[in-house]
Amino acid sequence: MSTLVDLFSYVAIGAGAIFFLAGTVGLLRFPDTLTRLHALTKADNLGLGLVVLGLLPHVAGVLPALKLIAIWLLVLLSGADASQLIARAARRGEPRSRPGP
Amino acid sequence: MTDGPARSPAPAANSTMRATLSRGIGLFALWIVLMPSAKPADLVVGALAAAGATWVSLRLLPPASGRVRFAALLALLPRFLWQSLLAGIDVARRAFAPRMRLAPGFVTYRTGFPRGQARNNFATITSLMPGSVPVGDGPDTIEFHCLDASQPVVEQMAEEERLLAKALVPGERHG
Repeated sequence: MSTLVDLFSYVAIGAGAIFFLAGTVGLLRFPDTLTRLHALTKADNLGLGLVVLGLLPHVAGVLPALKLIAIWLLVLLSGADASQLIARAARRGEPRSRPGP
Repeated sequence: MTDGPARSPAPAANSTMRATLSRGIGLFALWIVLMPSAKPADLVVGALAAAGATWVSLRLLPPASGRVRFAALLALLPRFLWQSLLAGIDVARRAFAPRMRLAPGFVTYRTGFPRGQARNNFATITSLMPGSVPVGDGPDTIEFHCLDASQPVVEQMAEEERLLAKALVPGERHG
């Protein structure tokens, strides 16, 4: 039973790490501010969610579990808000249309 | 759709009281989750922090600026988790692809949410969905930046708005 739980954790945390890597690769490879924001917000949110999911079976009790979930929700919320603020600022600073990279 | 007492305009004092209580309790519960301790000294600090946070939240986000029906929002949670998974996979696939398939562009979406809290919440939630980030808005439009502008973004947003209209209630005061 505990082997199964460990396996679940390895898979979830491993997948989370892959999404963090994807977010960073996107940050480096995508062509401009706005596309890079997509990469960071979406991939990292999912990555953190999967890491939290993988850690949940290993915490002792309900409160620590809720704490992990609360941390994920707070990061989700602040990430979504910060990315919108950056996106709006980037959009205002950019000409209406511009040639590709 | 259940509509409860929200439909009839409750007296302002009543709704402020309700908002103060529910936010205070919620913030104190959050403190206990983040700082799990039953020592009286810790609880006193937590109560003071929750009271301060409630005061700030009432100043920055007055109850008149709109309401969120948490039960309705919670019912949509599985859908958001699924969307968030799709969004992550979508972006990861594009990032890792040897030849990135990006067709970025802007899409203007006509929304029924008036400017204000309900629209901000809508924009925040849509920013977690696959392929779109809100970048600006007009009197009755939201502009999205899309990784692939050939996708049916407008139809997708209309569907989200239809579902979220049950959870995000615009206030009488906008801005």
